Amino acid sequence: MAELNNKTLSRRSFLKRTVAIGAGVSVAGAAGAGLYLGSVNRVSRAAGKKVIIIGIDGMDPRLSEQMMNDGQLPYLAKMRAAGGFRPLGTSIPPQSPVAWANFINGAGPGSHGIFDFIHRHPEKPQAPFFSAAETVAGEGGWEVGEFKIPLDFWPFRHQPPRTELRRQGIPFWDYLDEAGVPSTFYDLPSNYPPSPSKCGHHRCICGMGTPDVLGSYGTYQYFAEDNPPEPVHEGGGKRFPLRFVNDTAQIKLLGPENNLLRKPESTLVELTIHRDTAANAAVIEMGQKRIVLKAGQWSRWVDLTFELRTPWFLPGRSVRGIARFYLQEVAPNFRLYVSPINIDPRAPAVSISEPSSFVTDVARKIGPFYTTGFQEDHKARTNKIFNDQEFIQQATLVLEERFRLLEYAIQNYDDGLLFFYFSSSDLQSHMFWWSDHEPHPSRSPEEAAFYFNHIKRLYQQLDRVIGDIIDRYGSVATIIVMSDHGFANFGWQFNLNSWLRDFGYLNPVECPSILSEIMDWSRTKAYGLGINGLYLNLKGREREGIVEPGAEAEELIEALTQGLLRVRWGDQPVIRNVYRASEVYRGEAMALAPDLIIGYHRGFRASWATCLGDLEADAISPNLEAWSADHCADALEVPGVLWCNQPIRSDNPSLVDIAPSILALYGLPTPPTMTGRNVLG
Amino acid sequence: MNTLTTVVVAFNTLANALGQLLTPIAWLPDWLSLTLIAGLTGLGMLLAFKYTSNQRAIAQIRRDIRANLLTIRLFRENLRVALTAQARLIVAALRLLGHALIPMAVLTVPMIFLLAQLALWYQLAPLPVGAETVITITLAGPTETPLPVVILLDNDAIEDVSGPVRITSQRQVCWCIRAKQPGYHTLQFDLEGQRYEKQIAIGEGVMRVSPQRPSRHWSEVLLYPWETPFPRESLVQAITIEHPQRSSWIAGTDSWIVYWFLISLVAAFCLRGFLRVHI
Repeated sequence: MAELNNKTLSRRSFLKRTVAIGAGVSVAGAAGAGLYLGSVNRVSRAAGKKVIIIGIDGMDPRLSEQMMNDGQLPYLAKMRAAGGFRPLGTSIPPQSPVAWANFINGAGPGSHGIFDFIHRHPEKPQAPFFSAAETVAGEGGWEVGEFKIPLDFWPFRHQPPRTELRRQGIPFWDYLDEAGVPSTFYDLPSNYPPSPSKCGHHRCICGMGTPDVLGSYGTYQYFAEDNPPEPVHEGGGKRFPLRFVNDTAQIKLLGPENNLLRKPESTLVELTIHRDTAANAAVIEMGQKRIVLKAGQWSRWVDLTFELRTPWFLPGRSVRGIARFYLQEVAPNFRLYVSPINIDPRAPAVSISEPSSFVTDVARKIGPFYTTGFQEDHKARTNKIFNDQEFIQQATLVLEERFRLLEYAIQNYDDGLLFFYFSSSDLQSHMFWWSDHEPHPSRSPEEAAFYFNHIKRLYQQLDRVIGDIIDRYGSVATIIVMSDHGFANFGWQFNLNSWLRDFGYLNPVECPSILSEIMDWSRTKAYGLGINGLYLNLKGREREGIVEPGAEAEELIEALTQGLLRVRWGDQPVIRNVYRASEVYRGEAMALAPDLIIGYHRGFRASWATCLGDLEADAISPNLEAWSADHCADALEVPGVLWCNQPIRSDNPSLVDIAPSILALYGLPTPPTMTGRNVLG
Repeated sequence: MNTLTTVVVAFNTLANALGQLLTPIAWLPDWLSLTLIAGLTGLGMLLAFKYTSNQRAIAQIRRDIRANLLTIRLFRENLRVALTAQARLIVAALRLLGHALIPMAVLTVPMIFLLAQLALWYQLAPLPVGAETVITITLAGPTETPLPVVILLDNDAIEDVSGPVRITSQRQVCWCIRAKQPGYHTLQFDLEGQRYEKQIAIGEGVMRVSPQRPSRHWSEVLLYPWETPFPRESLVQAITIEHPQRSSWIAGTDSWIVYWFLISLVAAFCLRGFLRVHI
């Protein structure tokens, strides 16, 4: 009886619970759906409208026109024939982070606050930093033995070290996002860390500015028997010696610093190398995994896991990275290049996309790919780890990978805006561009012509890619092909700080660098930092400023401008324009702007030394680096380029006009934050 | 050791034959096949426990445990009685454990061979077409003697990317190969006129992957049961092919065994009332 009663009760309670759970689930589901569809409206309002933008960094309008005229760029020429071709006004100065930020904001540097590759805080002129992102040191931490553990929750609220996006203002995709138009960006420059999407319609994989796992903008590691006995840290890379015993050598790959330690130290992955000189090949061992490489062979992406030491009571942590190995030589001098260790897109150690899962989803489909901002390892070429052919080989690997990514992007594109970025044209042009008949500083005329032809072939490859997109989407999409700037020879370099010293504006005379301790700020009126920037040592702004704002500053600016415009190399003027920031920039992000921006004639650029504040004996010297072409000249010398499969209305469009034009294609007005205008249809 | 190896090889032969019953794994989603196998394993373990343990004694011990728990609750204020009951509880738990020893001993051997068979399916993924991997052949002999010439014979299923590369100090020869044709294939190596074979699995999804053809050592043979071990006097001691790990929360590399264990326990726990098993 009791059992029966129990059963009856169970059935009732079962029915009650079922009804209650059913009602609960329905209410929760309805509420969840309302929240999903209401506050985050994910339904595309692009109404099938398609806009595809291919950003080709550094594609030059002069060379493009010449090649179109010669019938070498048939697909781009077809767009020109339809009225869709113009040179594209670039940024002042024409540097990629500045130019792409102009594109993003639809307004100039005064709106986004990026004025050069390199910035400084006025109160700390001797601590330059990368302009688009700044790493901020952590604050606080629970100190346990040798560890310092940040506890970022209440009541501790310690701040771990982090990187902040320095680009200010409103990116144009925010307006699309709010209007419900989906936008997808692959490798967008000047957007690391990724800016968040408020309404969930924006997706982006970060491009230029994205670091490797070491936190640098690409640090290769190079192991060779003839390297110096002590490790050498050079710009963009590290050299380590290695010694073989019975054809076996041990090496250690440097990983990220373990910031959980009070004294952070680098993490390591140990590798064992076995070489077979007869086979001219080697086996590289990482724990249980092996790679077999012949001399001259590249590995595929290799997974690397760097273990971080933690206190005994915390679970172990690790950082995943990926690298490609290139066995350059087996004997007599074993040489092994390891690419910068890229953040693994399948398990990123930091967020490199918006949403964070976007890059992971892509990598799961197509496998790992380069995630650092600078993918072509120009530093390895500059530091003579690579010869020209090896650099081309590595750049070709990057390009092939980009083509695969583009194919994925196209196949997974429905409607809205699709942006895809190519860096190859820029970084390869820096090495191989030589457009004139003047003698190349380090190559024979034949060699210079041979490598310049490589750039032309690259343009042709990109033309075919554009052709493919036109074939697939030309009738249903607006297709825009654009570059941020053009290119020019870089045969001669001008050291701005040396010139300022020679004319008494910078002291003392024997000062080797503005970062040096012997720099006398009390006798320095102006200094150069970055590629195009000149700063007055202004009282009230700079830490030890001496130039009074107002009349004295005006007088100094005038004197500097006139002096710089008079600089000659032989009979050639070096500087074409000197711009006043107050005249060419406007906006609310002017705090770090230089006072003057130097615009060089073609063939000239700021010297390597002056970019980081160093001084040399001569103000002008030949540029003998492998990096023999550049675009950091005057903006009028190196415009970018714009193609569209519909007529371009304006005769002189500029980078800032692209964003308003895109908004207009979706029926959105030009926001007051933008200075550009609609130049399409 | 020789005898042990021979015994393991013999068991492997049997396990491999029974392992053919696992072939449907290749046709089902990995989570489903693993769940079914774990459920059946739980059922099997429960039945084995029922018939190899003293069920009457276990039932009696469980009644004792309940009685002692009641004693502790009722005589909470009487320290002597409560402590005595607690001591009895511990003894009862130990007795329960003692009664589990025989079933555990009986189940150990089949479980090891079952796990070895399951590992063939769930521990590693087959090589996707186009993927590159490294094959390592380990040779017998002292490290001072020169390595003989080993040839990887042409095979339509793979492409030889680089190699052979010799590691004299470890008496190993390596190749990098690229997978071309899906399916199970046999690679052949020529060493001083003798042929040596190794199976390779190429494809997608779940396939039986044998990462190593082992030497004739009991632990190796236990870990790599599918292929016949090389004889002790063979010039070739082992052939290894690196395979990618399986990425799945449920049936991925290393995680599959945790899932299998949990589901088999849950299944056994759920079925114990239905099968009237005291555990």
